[in-house]
Amino acid sequence: MRGDVREVLTHWLGADVRAVEGLPDEALAELCDALVAARKRQAAEIRAASDEAFRQLPPVLRGTVSRILGR
Amino acid sequence: MGHDLATRAELVKLARALGTDPDEIAFVAELPHTAIRLVRERAVATLYDEHRPAFQRVAMITRLLPTGVNVRIALRAFTPLLAARVAGEMPPDRAAELANRMPVEYLAEACVHLDPRRAAPLVHRVAPDRVLAVVMELVDRGDFITLGRLLDTATEPIVRDVAATVPTEALLRIGFYAESDEQLTRAVALLPPQRLRNIVRDALTGPPELRSAGLALVGRLTDDELRGRLAELAAEADDDTLTALLHTAIDDGALAEVLVAVSAMGERAQRRVLTLPALTEPHTLGHLVRAVEKHNLWPRIAPVVSLMDDDLRRRIAGATDRRTDLR
Repeated sequence: MRGDVREVLTHWLGADVRAVEGLPDEALAELCDALVAARKRQAAEIRAASDEAFRQLPPVLRGTVSRILGR
Repeated sequence: MGHDLATRAELVKLARALGTDPDEIAFVAELPHTAIRLVRERAVATLYDEHRPAFQRVAMITRLLPTGVNVRIALRAFTPLLAARVAGEMPPDRAAELANRMPVEYLAEACVHLDPRRAAPLVHRVAPDRVLAVVMELVDRGDFITLGRLLDTATEPIVRDVAATVPTEALLRIGFYAESDEQLTRAVALLPPQRLRNIVRDALTGPPELRSAGLALVGRLTDDELRGRLAELAAEADDDTLTALLHTAIDDGALAEVLVAVSAMGERAQRRVLTLPALTEPHTLGHLVRAVEKHNLWPRIAPVVSLMDDDLRRRIAGATDRRTDLR
C-alpha cells in the first residue's frame, strides 16, 4: 500500500485499515478518492444548508449566532 | 452484478453512505461483505464526527428555547439534514419532543441523515404512531436502505405494528438492507402467519430482486425453525416457480441459502422439492454440489441426500466425482 494512501485510509478506518489490505493498490487509491469525495460532498451540503439557515434568521440574531457557532 | 447477496447489499449501503453510486465503488466487492461493512461503519463515524462540534453548539442553543420555538426555527430555517445532525447531539428526550411536533415528511427526510450510532434512544422516545407514519412515508419513497437501518432501532411494539401494516413486498426489501441478522429474525418471528405466507408468495412470484431478497432473508435468519417454516411455505409452490427461484439462486450465488433452507424443512417438504425436474439438469446439479462443498454443507444436507431416489443420488455422486477429478 502506498504511503499517502495508507495515511488517508488510516485516518478514516483507524486500525481497521487492515480489513482493506487485500485490495490491489489501484482499488485502494480509488477507495481513498471515494472517501475524500464523500467528505467534500458532505462539507458542501452542510455549508449550503447552514448558509440557508442563516438567511432565514432575523438579521439582528445573525451576529450572535455566528459568534456562538464560530463561523 | 455477479456478487453474493450480502455483498450486493453492502455495496449499496456503502454507496449511500458515501453519496455515490454502487457501480462507482464496485472495486470494494473483492472484499468480504464483513469488511465492506466495517469500511462503511468507520467511514460513517468519521463523516458524522467531523462536524460534531458545530452541531453540539447548536444543540446547546436549543436548550435555552422552549420546544415550540425550537420547532418553528427548525422548520423555517433548518433543512432535515441540519435538523437530524443537531438532533443527534441533543438529549434524546428533548429531540423526541421536537420530533413529535414536526411534519411526518420532514421527519422522514431527517431520518435519512440521522447518525446511526445515536438513532435508537431518539426513535424509542418518539410517539409510536409518528414512528409508524414515518415508516410508511419512507416506504412510499422506496427508501428501503434507511428503513433497513432503522429496523435496528425499532422496539418490539414498533416492529409488530410495522409487520402488521407495511406491504409484505416492502418488508422483503427492508429485510434485504437490515443491519442485524438477530433483529431481522425477531421481526420475521413477529409476523402473523398470513403475512409470513404473503412474504413467501411475494418472494416467489415477484420480480427477480424480490426473489433475491427472499433468498437473502431465509439465509440470514438465526432461527432454524423459522427458516424451516418459510422454506416449507415456499415448497408448496409449483415446479416452475421453484425452478425460477433455483435459477435466481444460481445467478445470485445464493445456493447455500437454498440448501440450508431445504435442510431446515420437514421431511414431507424435502421430498417435494426433491421431485423438482430441474434437479436432473447436470448444470444445476454441478452448481449445487459446488455450493455444498464450498460452504461445507455435506453434514447438514446428508439427511436430505438419504431421501433421494437412486437415480438422483447417482447423478449427485457423478457430479461430486467430476468435481473431485477437477481438483
